[in-house]
Amino acid sequence: MAGTGHAQLRDHDDVLLRVKDLVVQFPAGRRRVVHAVSEVSFDVAEGETLGIVGESGCGKSTVARAIIRLVDITGGEVLYEGRDLAGLEGEDLRRVRPRLQMIFQDPISSLNPRRRVRDVIAEGLAVWGDDIGSWSRDRIDELMDAVGVEARYGARRPHEFSGGQCQRIGIARALALDPKVLICDEPVSALDVSIQAQILNLLQDMKRRYGLTVLFISHDLSVVKNVSDRIVVMYLGKVCEIGSTIEIYSRPAHPYTRALLASIPEPAPTVDIEEGDIGDELPSATAPPSGCRFHTRCPRATDICREVEPVSEQIGDADHYVACHHPVEVEISAR
Amino acid sequence: MMAEQDATGAPLLSVRDLHVRFPTERGTVNAVNGVSFDLHEGKTLAIVGESGSGKSVTAKTLMNLLPRTAQVSGEVTYDGQDVQALAEAGTKHFFGVQMTMVFQDPMTSLNPVKKVGEQIAETLRYHLGRSRIEALEEAEELLDVVGMPEPARRLKQYPHELSGGLRQRVVIAMALACQPRLLIADEPTTAVDVTVQKHLLDLLDRLRRDRGMSMILITHDLGVAHGRADDVAVMYAGRLVEVADARTLFFDMRHPYTEALLRSIPRIDDPVHHRLDPIPGRPPELINPPDACAFAPRCIYAQGDCLGGVPELSGLVGLHRFACLHPTGTERGMAAMAANRAAGVTAAGLPVAGGHGGSG
Repeated sequence: MAGTGHAQLRDHDDVLLRVKDLVVQFPAGRRRVVHAVSEVSFDVAEGETLGIVGESGCGKSTVARAIIRLVDITGGEVLYEGRDLAGLEGEDLRRVRPRLQMIFQDPISSLNPRRRVRDVIAEGLAVWGDDIGSWSRDRIDELMDAVGVEARYGARRPHEFSGGQCQRIGIARALALDPKVLICDEPVSALDVSIQAQILNLLQDMKRRYGLTVLFISHDLSVVKNVSDRIVVMYLGKVCEIGSTIEIYSRPAHPYTRALLASIPEPAPTVDIEEGDIGDELPSATAPPSGCRFHTRCPRATDICREVEPVSEQIGDADHYVACHHPVEVEISAR
Repeated sequence: MMAEQDATGAPLLSVRDLHVRFPTERGTVNAVNGVSFDLHEGKTLAIVGESGSGKSVTAKTLMNLLPRTAQVSGEVTYDGQDVQALAEAGTKHFFGVQMTMVFQDPMTSLNPVKKVGEQIAETLRYHLGRSRIEALEEAEELLDVVGMPEPARRLKQYPHELSGGLRQRVVIAMALACQPRLLIADEPTTAVDVTVQKHLLDLLDRLRRDRGMSMILITHDLGVAHGRADDVAVMYAGRLVEVADARTLFFDMRHPYTEALLRSIPRIDDPVHHRLDPIPGRPPELINPPDACAFAPRCIYAQGDCLGGVPELSGLVGLHRFACLHPTGTERGMAAMAANRAAGVTAAGLPVAGGHGGSG
């Protein structure tokens, strides 16, 4: 895709969240518009972890923010349990928000520095009061214990904790309202290497313990592979490729996915991908390229790519969809 | 700790017993503690570590960029000259000429209100006495060398008009302007995307080879170090804990921290939902560090003697060196691991599960 299409949408009963033709645009002054997200469609089944990968500027964070309405949606649908979140306002929106919670990249700046961490975690509960059911200090203690921060430190303020502990507190805050969907926007990118694994394991544990459905956004392909059941690859506001994690990593079909995989510096690389050079210049999102948005960097681009936007199509009969006029249908070789 | 001369000739850069301390209100921060290494002409040394490990402070010490409050001791020799003496003498044409540095964030290392051509030319005019016209011509050539598309047009642009990757190319062009023999790159690709990272690392590699430069590559990313360095030095809490050629370090490491770090990162060829093996706890404080191995509280091999003093970095400079009393992949290490497993806990009080870890 750096294209459109719905072939990847599934017709299951257990689809919890469905994003259809989502468009998000930002005004850029002088009547120009940033095309941050353009006709993006995907769905997430209950209990699934969906990874969204792509480079900076691909729109992955904007998709996440649009789903929980932190940015305004220009067009399209966000169906959660059959209801369109895009059209909700006021009290209706407020009531659905506890169901979808988010954790952010920078764990320290996403916590109010002037409040005690116990109050940070409890705030949502305090706001919702009886609507969310009874809660007590025990609930806060239980959450802190679950994420691995000792409850006796609850009276401390965020600056007294390390980045990894702040991220644990951010996770506890997100879990306080008993959400169904947890959206993680680059949750380990700002953490030291030795701390990343702790947080990734914690997220897996929390997912199991609280029955969460997870949207995991990251630029790090190794991290996304580790956590995701299914992957969306985005480029310049469009979806390139969607499929099960195993499909995407063993048979990447979109030239952009292949280029991304080929760029990973790895300790002991065992995966060998031959891919043309895609240069390092991202086109402007205010004037995205015609046809396939990736054609300006794509080693396989031909005339049709400049003129016609590709539509997503299934590859074989696997859970694997690609929007490309010239998909690569070769399994990557283990070295 | 005291180093012998390496057999392959005099190194370009030699660092011996480097200490850097910063007095603060809360006490003295021991940022770098007794670091010694050699760098030979044409080689790349990667210094790997997490934040607070002292890797960037080491680089800034070499470049004489530390604040005045820093207390530095030890010996840094560049091509037979004492670098500290050069710095004290106020030598104008050494730092930035012989030895140059590329920083992590290209936006903050460029002047936002000056065209990039002028910024590159400035270096050439100051250090090499070129005229303005000559300097701008050379700047254009340099931009071409670093793979900048349309160099003539880019000369007249401001940093904000360039992407992160192109900005970093400008910074690299500035660093190359005076034909340095040593380039220090401090997290040069941390602020850019993975496809851009590959291009920048390829560029640095090519420049090093074409110009016979030596390079110190400072990174937190083990993957970057693996693909690009001849030798790798791992830092933890201000000390070198292991130094070896890249292959040995990644496949036959001796320090438990190196092993644990490699095991904790998700890898692209791991299976999906592979359970990661995190390093428990977190890096130590650098104020009033205990007289013990700094990694012991997080180490599954830790024994009583690990808590009774800081282990020395053993071995000769230039060979495989490691600072550990119970190194992984040795009999002592295996015995330590077996003892800890049997006890269910290390000497430092860290619980050890039965089937956890192993020896390299």
